[in-house]
Amino acid sequence: MLVACVLLSLLALVLPARIRSAIAGGLRGSVVVPLASLQERAEVSRRAVLAYDASLRVADSVRLQASQAEVTAAENERLRRLLGLGAALKWGFVPAEALHGRGLGDDYTMTLAVGRDEGVEPFSAVVAPDGLVGMIDAVDAHSSVAIVWPHPDFRVSAMSADGAAFGIVYPHLGSGATRFLLELRGVAFRNELRPGTLIVSAGLGGVYPRGIPVGTVISEIKTAEAWARHYLLRPAVRPADATTVMVLQPRRSKEGVAIAWQVAVDSALRIVVAAGDSLAKGHSDSLAQAERRRLDSLQALRPRTDSAVTPPAAAPVTRVKPPVPGARP
Amino acid sequence: MNAARGLWFALVFLALVVLNYSLRPVLDWRASIDFLSIAVLLVAVRARPGVATVVGFAVGIVSDSMLPGAFGAGALAFSIVAYAASTLKAAFFADNLALNAVFVFLGKWVGDLVFLAAEHRLGGSEFLAQAMLWSPLAAAVTSVVGLAVLVLVRPVVGTPRG
Repeated sequence: MLVACVLLSLLALVLPARIRSAIAGGLRGSVVVPLASLQERAEVSRRAVLAYDASLRVADSVRLQASQAEVTAAENERLRRLLGLGAALKWGFVPAEALHGRGLGDDYTMTLAVGRDEGVEPFSAVVAPDGLVGMIDAVDAHSSVAIVWPHPDFRVSAMSADGAAFGIVYPHLGSGATRFLLELRGVAFRNELRPGTLIVSAGLGGVYPRGIPVGTVISEIKTAEAWARHYLLRPAVRPADATTVMVLQPRRSKEGVAIAWQVAVDSALRIVVAAGDSLAKGHSDSLAQAERRRLDSLQALRPRTDSAVTPPAAAPVTRVKPPVPGARP
Repeated sequence: MNAARGLWFALVFLALVVLNYSLRPVLDWRASIDFLSIAVLLVAVRARPGVATVVGFAVGIVSDSMLPGAFGAGALAFSIVAYAASTLKAAFFADNLALNAVFVFLGKWVGDLVFLAAEHRLGGSEFLAQAMLWSPLAAAVTSVVGLAVLVLVRPVVGTPRG
């Protein structure tokens, strides 16, 4: 049997390729069909598994790139605005990278990667495209430390964007999330500020030039003081988000920088005016509606009133019999 | 071998053939498990040399149909291995697992060597690398799996004939 099988095998090996292919094809088309199908499915499964891994990798890469694209777009936007601020200021500023620590007290200060050699001086204002960040506190040769507005010692004289109300901005020393808000104190009692009113630096005191956005009014803080109003402000800048800032040199501050934020101030004013107009319009609309309702009510009442004053319909004529003579009344 | 055991044996043989064409392509190892060799050796140690040779030849022809370039080489290799295994089973199939592993290892390796020599596809260093590196590795993997199969199926198909 071995000899026969070996001879058949050798015969298969030496057969012409055409005949061998025909025999192999015949086997693949009959006996081996289930096995060939099985092998094909197994290979397809394997390719599917590999393709799934590959597609997963591609999806992960795309997701990663998308998330990085969002970060890059945000960074571009921030830098574009910073360039816009630089173009508006034109001179007298030092751009600086802000280094944020994550330790205790780092919420109140910010280390800047520029110092005396780059032209930074103590008590210079630190600004960002959105508004005021803080003030330079200490200066070294190539670095400096700025206090930012949550610092308990931060103060800035401020006013409403239209210049009608003045006060002093302090950090709000509340607890929890409100710790990172500001307070506008000492506003004359006659000056009532609406929520959303932009507050800018007033330029008094010689550190912060006039016109830098500080925050917007959230609400009034009720106090026992009867001669002044206090307001809670939402800060214009979140120090944690300010990764690149500008240090205004004192000469530049003296020249005035309000023009750099004029667009923001104007748009804020427009918003406030529009909000006021809307309120006024809403008020007048409601008055008109009330008047209309009153008239409608009167109109609805009128027929009943008329019926009350209209004389009743003529009573039916009844014939009165003449008294019978001799009858008792 | 009674009918029940015969049926179990056929199922195990079929399962090994199916695994060769389902699990082996999925794993796609360079030194892959040769389930056909295990199946042929399983038959060889339980059948007479003539029957084992025919089964080896049939399995070889079936596997060759997937490799038209080497048509006949697998049949030759499996025929020789099946005959040799069936003849030598008394020497190898004692109740010694190490000997059984060596039996499967040698069966697979010798089968590969015969196949490589018969198909005339590889030559020189490629032939040496395949014959002396990848074939022994594949034989080692196959012997491990074959040993596991032998241990698993022994209770249902019984011990080999002496």
